[in-house]
Amino acid sequence: MKTLRVVIFVVVALIQLSVPASIVWKREKTLQHGRVWKFKTEPVDPIDAIRGRYVALRLEAEKGRPAEAPREDFAPGGVVYVTLKEDADGFAQVDQISINPLPGDNVVKAEAGYWRDGWEHVSFPFDRFWLAEKLAPEAERAYRENSRRDKQNAYVTVRVREGDAALEQLYIDNQPLPDYLRAQAAKK
Amino acid sequence: MPALVAGGAITSENAVAIERYYAAEESQSRNLGFVLLAIIGSALVASGIILLIAHNWDELSRPLRTFIAFLPLVVAQALAVFVLMRRDQSQPWRESVAIFDVAAVATAISLVSQTYQIQGSFADFMFVWLLLSLPIVYLFRTTVGAIVYIIGSVVWLCAKTGWYRGQSEQLLFWLLLLAIAPYYAALFRRDRFARQTAALSVVLVAATGIGLGYAAEYTRANIGTIAFAGFVTSVYLCGIKFFTRADGRLPALALLGGLGVGVVAIALSFEELWHFGGTYSWSLQGVSRGIAIAIQLFFPVAAIALLIWDYLRQNRVIFSVAAGALPLVAGLAWIIASRAEVGEREHDSPYALAAAVVFNVYALLLGVELIARGIRANSMARANFGLLVIVALALARFFDSDLSFLSRGLGFIAVGIGFLVANVIFFKKRART
Repeated sequence: MKTLRVVIFVVVALIQLSVPASIVWKREKTLQHGRVWKFKTEPVDPIDAIRGRYVALRLEAEKGRPAEAPREDFAPGGVVYVTLKEDADGFAQVDQISINPLPGDNVVKAEAGYWRDGWEHVSFPFDRFWLAEKLAPEAERAYRENSRRDKQNAYVTVRVREGDAALEQLYIDNQPLPDYLRAQAAKK
Repeated sequence: MPALVAGGAITSENAVAIERYYAAEESQSRNLGFVLLAIIGSALVASGIILLIAHNWDELSRPLRTFIAFLPLVVAQALAVFVLMRRDQSQPWRESVAIFDVAAVATAISLVSQTYQIQGSFADFMFVWLLLSLPIVYLFRTTVGAIVYIIGSVVWLCAKTGWYRGQSEQLLFWLLLLAIAPYYAALFRRDRFARQTAALSVVLVAATGIGLGYAAEYTRANIGTIAFAGFVTSVYLCGIKFFTRADGRLPALALLGGLGVGVVAIALSFEELWHFGGTYSWSLQGVSRGIAIAIQLFFPVAAIALLIWDYLRQNRVIFSVAAGALPLVAGLAWIIASRAEVGEREHDSPYALAAAVVFNVYALLLGVELIARGIRANSMARANFGLLVIVALALARFFDSDLSFLSRGLGFIAVGIGFLVANVIFFKKRART
């Protein structure tokens, strides 16, 4: 009886380990082999952006694609598959939205949003950039200053592979966030 | 004690038995204290570890962070194997290592998610965590773990459910709840009168009530009234049937169910509760709506089955007949209210009023019966609860402006007479004994 319980626990323990391990495995593969996409961020409401340990990103591409009317088969909050294309400046734009899985390194699994003002909105699973305690307030200030309407040069890079999208880095003024903050600190 | 033995009041065997009884009682309460301290201690250590790690998080590389995320989990699992093999008979060990393990699972998943910028929804995270915690409850026979699991299920339900289309996944809540039932049954068989059994019962009842509220809200089938009437009655009857002690004290579950019966009776005496809204459900459709309706109907059916079973098994009825009849009365009132024309169901109508009147009469009878039972059992508390139901009914009607002065007046006269009669009987009986 005791041996049986230990055996069952070992199986449970392996499952417990496999859940975070599978996340690591999938993400590492996406980060290593995925195609890089750049997502421009929108100007942000300062009050709304403060989220403590992460920077709340507003991605321009989440506006979705133009559509004359809401589509019947989309349930807001439901799963959709979004294909991406690059615009003239090399930033990611939404090309097609489908409720069926699609192949390719330009497909991201996302959430359907609401139809508003002629646009079919989507919500990507990477609109938060997690930071540590010390870095968060500085990073947020830097992001906010650089994504206002006049000075909108903040973007994130995302690696995409088989529907999985891994947020890689937040760029401000074309520099990765840690470098940018270091440069700002040196300027002071 | 030696003096009692010397005086011949008790024999020396009796003295030994009495001493053993008190010693056992003392060790049991000391054991409970130790269990609680062990649980709190291990929870503090676990959170301390997380804070230490979080402190210097940035400076660490991604592989190192991943390694650290797994560390508490591996330590907890090693400790758990040790406890299973060497300390399986110690409840404090089992309870604390189980808490440590489930906390470590949550830590590992959230730290990995943060390291890899993963933004799954909170509800999905909770669901995975619940599934991984469930076997731990059984393997380590931990009641605290079971309580945490049930609370987690409720948190998941609240996080998962919203007002959009396609909400059938919320029904998984009932499977989550059902999954803990075998543990509860085992605990019940081992010691139904233990404090931990009572605690788990109360948590289980509260969680079921919340789940039922969600089902009633999202199906829009207008049967919430019957569902809740059946639910509180089932709780009350189960409390009386399965937990009654020899000393005649009211079991916790019966007390909870009894309070529920009183609250539901008063609530259903309001006419608004018998307005039927539109029956189109945006969030639950087709089969899942059918299942949600079946879950709601399960409780009144269970209550009636318990009543019939009791009736067939024994002649002496030990529960309050009025409380037992609540689902039947609710069914009757529901049939009356549903006779209203489709267009009129959402507003005041003679049918809704009739249903409410049925419940006013019922609540009055319930109060009177509870008082009578209190008098019979010579329990001031129970008699007072009966009076409380009647007073609540009177207050409810006083503030219910929907009723005319005439019906309000008649209601008050009825309540007053009932009150007087109950008191006269109570004091006569008290004087006699």
